[in-house]
Amino acid sequence: MTTQTQIKVSAEGASPFREDSPDVVSAGVAAATEDDERVWIRVATDMADRDVFAERWLVITDRRLLIMHANGTQATNGAALAAVQQFPLSDVRAARVEPLVGGGRLEVERHTGEPAQVYYSNSLAPKFSEVAETLQQVSVGEEPTLATTVERSRCDRCHRVLPEKDGVCPACVHKLDTLKRLLAYMAPYRARVVLLLAILVAETGLDLLPPLITKHIIDDVLIPTANFPLLVWLVAGLFGLRVLAWGTAVGRRWVGAWVGFRAIEKMRADLYRALMYLPLRFYDKRKVGALISRMSNDSDLVEIYLIFDIPYIISNGLMVVGILGVLGYMSWELTLWVLLPVPPIVVASTLIWNRMEAYWVRWSAKWSRLTSHLNESIRGIRVVKAFAQEQREGQRFDRRNIDLRDVSVSAERHWIVFWMVTNFFMSSGVFFVWYFGGRKVLGESLTPGALMAFITYVWMLYQPLKWFGDFYGFMMRAYAGAERIFEVMDARSEPFQDPAATPMPQLRGQVEFEDAFFGYDPGKPVLRGASLSVRPGEMIGLVGKSGAGKSTLIHLLCRFYDVTRGSLQIDGVDIRNIRLEDLRSQIGLVAQQSFLFDGTIAENIAYGKPGVKFDDVLRASYAANAHEFVIAKADGYDMQVGEQGNKLSGGEKQRIAIARAILHDPRILILDEATSSLDTPTEAKIQQAIARLVEGRTTFAIAHRLSTLRSADRLVVLDAGRIVEVGTHEELMAQQGFFYKLVKTQQESSAMTVSKELES
Amino acid sequence: MTDVDQEKKIAGNGKVKKHTPTPITVTHPENVDVSKVRLYREPAWKLRLTIDGDRSYTRIKVVRAAPLSHPTRYISLLDAKDEEVCMIPDMKRMDEDMRQIVQEELDRRYLTSTIESVISIRNEFGTSYWDVATNRGPREFVVQNVAENAQWLGDHRLLLVDVDGNRFEIPNLGDLDKKSLGLVEMVL
Repeated sequence: MTTQTQIKVSAEGASPFREDSPDVVSAGVAAATEDDERVWIRVATDMADRDVFAERWLVITDRRLLIMHANGTQATNGAALAAVQQFPLSDVRAARVEPLVGGGRLEVERHTGEPAQVYYSNSLAPKFSEVAETLQQVSVGEEPTLATTVERSRCDRCHRVLPEKDGVCPACVHKLDTLKRLLAYMAPYRARVVLLLAILVAETGLDLLPPLITKHIIDDVLIPTANFPLLVWLVAGLFGLRVLAWGTAVGRRWVGAWVGFRAIEKMRADLYRALMYLPLRFYDKRKVGALISRMSNDSDLVEIYLIFDIPYIISNGLMVVGILGVLGYMSWELTLWVLLPVPPIVVASTLIWNRMEAYWVRWSAKWSRLTSHLNESIRGIRVVKAFAQEQREGQRFDRRNIDLRDVSVSAERHWIVFWMVTNFFMSSGVFFVWYFGGRKVLGESLTPGALMAFITYVWMLYQPLKWFGDFYGFMMRAYAGAERIFEVMDARSEPFQDPAATPMPQLRGQVEFEDAFFGYDPGKPVLRGASLSVRPGEMIGLVGKSGAGKSTLIHLLCRFYDVTRGSLQIDGVDIRNIRLEDLRSQIGLVAQQSFLFDGTIAENIAYGKPGVKFDDVLRASYAANAHEFVIAKADGYDMQVGEQGNKLSGGEKQRIAIARAILHDPRILILDEATSSLDTPTEAKIQQAIARLVEGRTTFAIAHRLSTLRSADRLVVLDAGRIVEVGTHEELMAQQGFFYKLVKTQQESSAMTVSKELES
Repeated sequence: MTDVDQEKKIAGNGKVKKHTPTPITVTHPENVDVSKVRLYREPAWKLRLTIDGDRSYTRIKVVRAAPLSHPTRYISLLDAKDEEVCMIPDMKRMDEDMRQIVQEELDRRYLTSTIESVISIRNEFGTSYWDVATNRGPREFVVQNVAENAQWLGDHRLLLVDVDGNRFEIPNLGDLDKKSLGLVEMVL
């Protein structure tokens, strides 16, 4: 986990920004610096210049900045000890990163002379943006800070580059630990697991017996052509075994499913709980799609593994051992011949499976391209027709269709080859048995029935080996899936259970930002020292361009994130010390896109207070001006709003969300663009509802249309993470500063906005 | 006449009769003609741009409008606010010293590496690990889900984007040696 705490830069202790440098660099730094000089930062870049992938080192001490060569060629001519560039820290005028295509450049401007430039590939971009931030702090005379941790991009153990930052290294999955953890989910059902194992053993035994009986049929009935009663008994025995085998097969699946699905259910529940309690920061870095796939695909992998693969491995393992035992008992010489084709089968199947897998990946990629094209063109059919592109879409579809056909054909061909090769080796084993076994029968050291049994066993032995190659790959994927699931479960959740937190069941709503710094990405601060004091019950309008830090301020207030520097206090208590449950239960949020959950209107209004009386729901609904449209619906408050509330219009959803906030009765209310994208009569109704809601609560409102903030007690204007103006609408207009300019540009562009709205 | 026939006819007509587009005028603070623009370095590490020897800009950014399909044409000069000052339609029709500066600036911005040969490609768990020789020297990188992160820029030209967003280009698959080509074809 990447923690967000930042520490003051010091020379003591470990820091990810003091990397181990090669001797040449260390010697060079030692030669260039004084004895008591402290090294703050020592980092390597992977691009010595923009045209060479090679190491170069950037060293920052409390006195100077050095850029050093790392390779030996310069060392031989004695130049390595001299830095590429060095200058005193006091010479740094500004530092910033310039994002380039496929990499970036750290630019350190100086008061005198040529600026220093360090190129790096995109892999190191987070590191250097952090370094640039620190240098920038130094240049303006602030105390430099650095994050304590950086994202891991390589596996700590095998140094493979990780497929996901801070993710699981698929090669280093702790297989045994993961297996133990998986099996722990079955622990509550120990008795059934034991039963399952017993069934597996029984089943293997039952599968091994029939060839032995056919041996007797051949040797004792068919060859002497006598003893009809024995034949009846033996056939009855075969039938009996078959019935028992069916019984055990049913029993195995029955019990296996019972245990496996319960284990998976528990695991899914744990994963879901973990997801609910994780901090938002966890979600910032990950795509929602990836998380959902973790929930579905990864748990699917594990499910198949638990329910089908583990029993399959055990039963086939037992089978192989059993068959080898019986074969060895019947004739050890023949058994050796049987084993001869085993290594080639295993090797061939492993090799071909790897290639097969590549084809399947390709096949599914082509298939998804085809379906996404289909999806796109059908969804966008209006556009296709409006631009008369039916024919071209058809051609594009054909190309993808043909690609898919070609991949399917070559996948099938590989499959045929695989089938042929393994079967060739398998039948070659059978040929050995026929030949050498046949000779033994002629020499009367083996009965014909035993030979027949032998051949049956040989086929039974080879079957599981064929899938060996696939099996390993699948198992690894299942382990990686399980590891990804466990990774989420192990991530640190929000501190709901902090016993040291102050219980504050009744907030007054006094809010104080003091020199608050914050950035979602540690290298890019969004808030740069915001200070603001808000009285209980005051309504604050937040104004500024997008990216100025308005939403960030609000996220901090909800404690979705913590400030990196400075502080945020509510009623004089640091927000980090307030019991999270108390804080959240007294903050209400009405956002631009009201998110409703699948359920009835009444349930949605009561979301924050489940089990509340219907009278209260009604009261909230009246106050939110929602009642009139709700009763007009056929099912009234019992109407199902559909997934994400999609059966309601935007304005209706908004009013439900306001009713939800009113019923929640928060001390601090946040309106995030609550009235945008609504038509004027609806907006008037919602404004009225909001006015009722705001009454007596500390309110923070963000609105793009500045006119909607007229009722605010004070407006706070943000620009580039700083609060630049505070005052009433009139005061700020009179001041003719930032706010005045914003209002003017908005008036100018309003004509354009109208035309845009008409278009959409 | 069937729908398909009709479509064909419409498409056919479109090819024969090329209608002239309605002109659209763009108003922009600068948007000046490239002939009026001078690029120079003063001091040596600072790029400056003057228009008619009158207005001057520092912190000029030189970007390609279509870096993949038209690398030497449609070069845009942006000011510090990322607003376009002017567009160079074709680098070939510039005088030598200006072109050199533009080329230098482009080289400083586009860090895409060219793969010269492939030493190994391992495919594990749906992720491929590449060890290659590039025009910038040896490099290892990881591509997740090759099908998504390999972009064909032509029948034989390939662009790979690794997990960190670094870019690697194979300008012509045919120019690779046999071994490299075999490895690439294994994963694509």
